[in-house]
Amino acid sequence: MDQSEVSQPNESFSISDYMPSVGIVGAIFSLISFVGGLFFGYQQINAEPTGSFFSPFMISSGVICLITSVAGLVAVWYFTREVSPQLKLGQGAVIGFLTGAVIVVISIVLSELWVMLIDPDYNEKILESMIANIEAMDMPQSSKDDMIDAMAESIDSQQTILRQIFWGVPITGLLNLLTAMIGVKLFAEKEEETF
Amino acid sequence: MMQNLWLYIAVFISLLLMVVLSLGGGLWGAEHSIGHWTGKLFERVCHQIPERSFTINNVPMAVNSRCFGIFAGLQAGWMLIPAAVRFRLEASRISWFLLFAVIAQIIDYTGNLLGFWENTNISRVILGMFLGMTASLSLTDMFKNNFKNQS
Repeated sequence: MDQSEVSQPNESFSISDYMPSVGIVGAIFSLISFVGGLFFGYQQINAEPTGSFFSPFMISSGVICLITSVAGLVAVWYFTREVSPQLKLGQGAVIGFLTGAVIVVISIVLSELWVMLIDPDYNEKILESMIANIEAMDMPQSSKDDMIDAMAESIDSQQTILRQIFWGVPITGLLNLLTAMIGVKLFAEKEEETF
Repeated sequence: MMQNLWLYIAVFISLLLMVVLSLGGGLWGAEHSIGHWTGKLFERVCHQIPERSFTINNVPMAVNSRCFGIFAGLQAGWMLIPAAVRFRLEASRISWFLLFAVIAQIIDYTGNLLGFWENTNISRVILGMFLGMTASLSLTDMFKNNFKNQS
């Protein structure tokens, strides 16, 4: 392949260039996050309290976090395939952060819709199931009470969609920003840049 | 002079904030981290089980020990990037360590889940730090000048 085909001048991209990869990958990962959360959530609801730390809901939080954190990397891979093989590190970081934000927004909206339209008692059932599991744990009663109080407080204070997005985006965005930079390292054609 | 200096600084500050906030409500005089604003920040990425978390002022942190290890490792590794650039550390070697750290996490998590062994807060934080540090340091060559010539 001719060198000029590989190393075109690095262009600056607009948000509309980022949106296909950010939107598609973000939507896919938010669906995975949402469906996985529901799957483990109903497993939790239907499970007998075992007293184990590894309840289905707890396992899901770790697994889903891990999966959604690599979305930034996947979004960069998609961008380098579909839009441009050349990508600066900063541009990859933007893609990663936006992908994290999209995941948070869509998964929160889907969760709210599920509770509003399909299963209004979902949160209460989850809370009851988790409290039953904590009660069965082998630990001092004061620790159990602390965990239950904190959990109840957390669920009671379920905020508006906007507040959930406000609290959810920064960390998920930052983690995806980091994996997106790894994605730039792995998938993008490198070009010297001054930032 | 490092390449992407401003991006480096921005991420450095963000990671520092993330580590400080992950210390949880104990740092701010709260009785809990779950439900506290610091806890809300991390509730989408961590199960926040108090028994599996370190405490600050007798209040469990906003994240469990493994997540705290990962965040602290990311920050520590990020701080070491300028030194790694200066001493021309080969990022390809770090990438192998990163792969090893990911596998170690999966083995530790699965072994504990299946009851082969019981990990502790200390073992979780150490493995988490290993993963975080290698993840940050694997990006070293993205901050070297004339990266294209070296790749």
